[in-house]
Amino acid sequence: MPEASPHAPAVRLRVPRFALALPAWAWLVSFFVVPIATIVWFSFGYKPGLFGTHANDVLSLDRYREALSPTFFTTFQNTLWVGLAGTGLCLLIGMPTAYWMAVKAPPNRRGLLVALVMVPYWTNFLVRTIGWQVILAPQGWFSELLQALHLTGGPLEILYTRTAVLIGVVYNYLPLMILPLFVAFDRVGGPLREASKDLGAGRWRTFTRVTLPLARPGVIAGTVLVFIPLMGDYVTATVLGGARGNMVGQLVASQFQTAQNWALGSAMAVVLILVIAATVAVIAALAWVVSVPIRARHRLVLEEVA
Amino acid sequence: MSTTTPSRQAAAPATDLGPPPPTRPLRSWGDRLLRVWGLVVLVFLFAPIVVVVVYSFNDGRLLIAWDEFGLAPYRAMLERPAIRSAVTVSLQVAVLSSLLATFLGTMAGVALARRPGRWTYWFIGLLLLVSVTPEIVDAVSLLPWVVFLGSDAGLTAFNNGIVRLVVGHSLFSTAVVSYIVRARLVGLDESLEEASGDLYATPLRTFRRITVPLAMPAVLAGYLLSFTLSLDNTIVSAFVQVSGSTPWPVYVLSALRSGLRPEIAATSTVMLVLTLAALGLVALVLRRSGDSATDIARTMGGG
Repeated sequence: MPEASPHAPAVRLRVPRFALALPAWAWLVSFFVVPIATIVWFSFGYKPGLFGTHANDVLSLDRYREALSPTFFTTFQNTLWVGLAGTGLCLLIGMPTAYWMAVKAPPNRRGLLVALVMVPYWTNFLVRTIGWQVILAPQGWFSELLQALHLTGGPLEILYTRTAVLIGVVYNYLPLMILPLFVAFDRVGGPLREASKDLGAGRWRTFTRVTLPLARPGVIAGTVLVFIPLMGDYVTATVLGGARGNMVGQLVASQFQTAQNWALGSAMAVVLILVIAATVAVIAALAWVVSVPIRARHRLVLEEVA
Repeated sequence: MSTTTPSRQAAAPATDLGPPPPTRPLRSWGDRLLRVWGLVVLVFLFAPIVVVVVYSFNDGRLLIAWDEFGLAPYRAMLERPAIRSAVTVSLQVAVLSSLLATFLGTMAGVALARRPGRWTYWFIGLLLLVSVTPEIVDAVSLLPWVVFLGSDAGLTAFNNGIVRLVVGHSLFSTAVVSYIVRARLVGLDESLEEASGDLYATPLRTFRRITVPLAMPAVLAGYLLSFTLSLDNTIVSAFVQVSGSTPWPVYVLSALRSGLRPEIAATSTVMLVLTLAALGLVALVLRRSGDSATDIARTMGGG
């Protein structure tokens, strides 16, 4: 460090250590922290009249009560269902894929495979979702193919249902699950698995007792990376969900864009964040509770050999 | 990400080549199943993209109903002024917002890697918060704020659509660039900077001549990632945009309501090729600077 250098000039401008981060900090505070704080403030207000969007002269929790009223509550339930099912499916689909990419695929192909998973991730979200709209359309080629193969009785009737939204979100967020899992499995490394096999463990036992526990950070990262944006999803639900596949994201958006009720929309946004945080906390707690007996059973105490 | 050390750099070529593959007599059923599964997932991941590219050659009136093969959508793409202006706005915003994010993020990343302290926890917490907040919440909170800044606070710049979009797109990207730059510098020894200081370089000169060149691959990768993120941004754009400067994804979103036409697929295909070119460049830059497939995946997955 320059400070430790013996040739450091005697008079130096003392800049704080975080000086270089200051512009970014200021930028994020003024266009992220302050706006979010404003939203929280709005959520305690009300919509003053037909043409006003928000007022805060009387503060109350009424907007929260309204946001959780039965009409909107079903949407929250629906969102939570899609969020949990979507994340679960991503994990189920993504884990074997990531394991195959990191462990079983030939090493010289791994770069290519990672690139192949990343291409969909970096193509336009909206365009990918429109691709699904084309595939799932009742008069589309996929529907006709299924009918020609006599797999379905009539045209495909998935579009604009919750199933379509689920397919869409699993598709859209799957790369976010595969990439961290790939990194985690890749980190475990071959020698450890070989050691496990040499010590008599079978394939399955090696996976559950060595590979998976060591890849746990990747599982956690993938789950969080998928679950959080999925809960706030707006585009997929709009393109594939129609009126029935309602998500909270759409609800918040409509309060701001069409209903012009910023107070209620803000309350919904705050509730959405709270629901996400609470669900993550509950899942983390559950995972911990489940892991306690497993760890206790497999604990190995090394006796001191005299 | 903080565990990377210079030894990783040295070991990278060796692990890339790997030991000679052990000759396996027979693949087990489990392995075959895994392989089929992996390939099916890849097909799943590419299906809608392939569909959009194929349907961009649809000469029909509506995107969803296939009519016949033709190049009419590409001609229409070049002729429709609305499409041209939307793409132009998107490209302008992408260039500006990614420059801004790279500038802010690089400095923040350097500070995080080279000047850590108690402040680091707070700052990384802020960056994490920025990257995990659902985009819709970002969007609805930014809208009242820019309206307030533009009208009540008298900062008329915020009535400009481009400015609003640049601000909106720069937030998440700043966090991403900070992570990438920090991850790269943490993996590099500080001795070069120390040597520069010992040779009487001023801190500014050391920063300009040593630190920035060392961080350059990460900076470039961060820039291109911000660029694609900005091109992709739909939700924040839909909220903060001003009519007259509608970016491309918002144009597509509004076209959804009036019926999608094949031009949209054609333009998307062109944008896809552009994005892939940018990403290829990122991967090339990272590989040149000695990253393995895993490191590239980590960097491009946003740390």
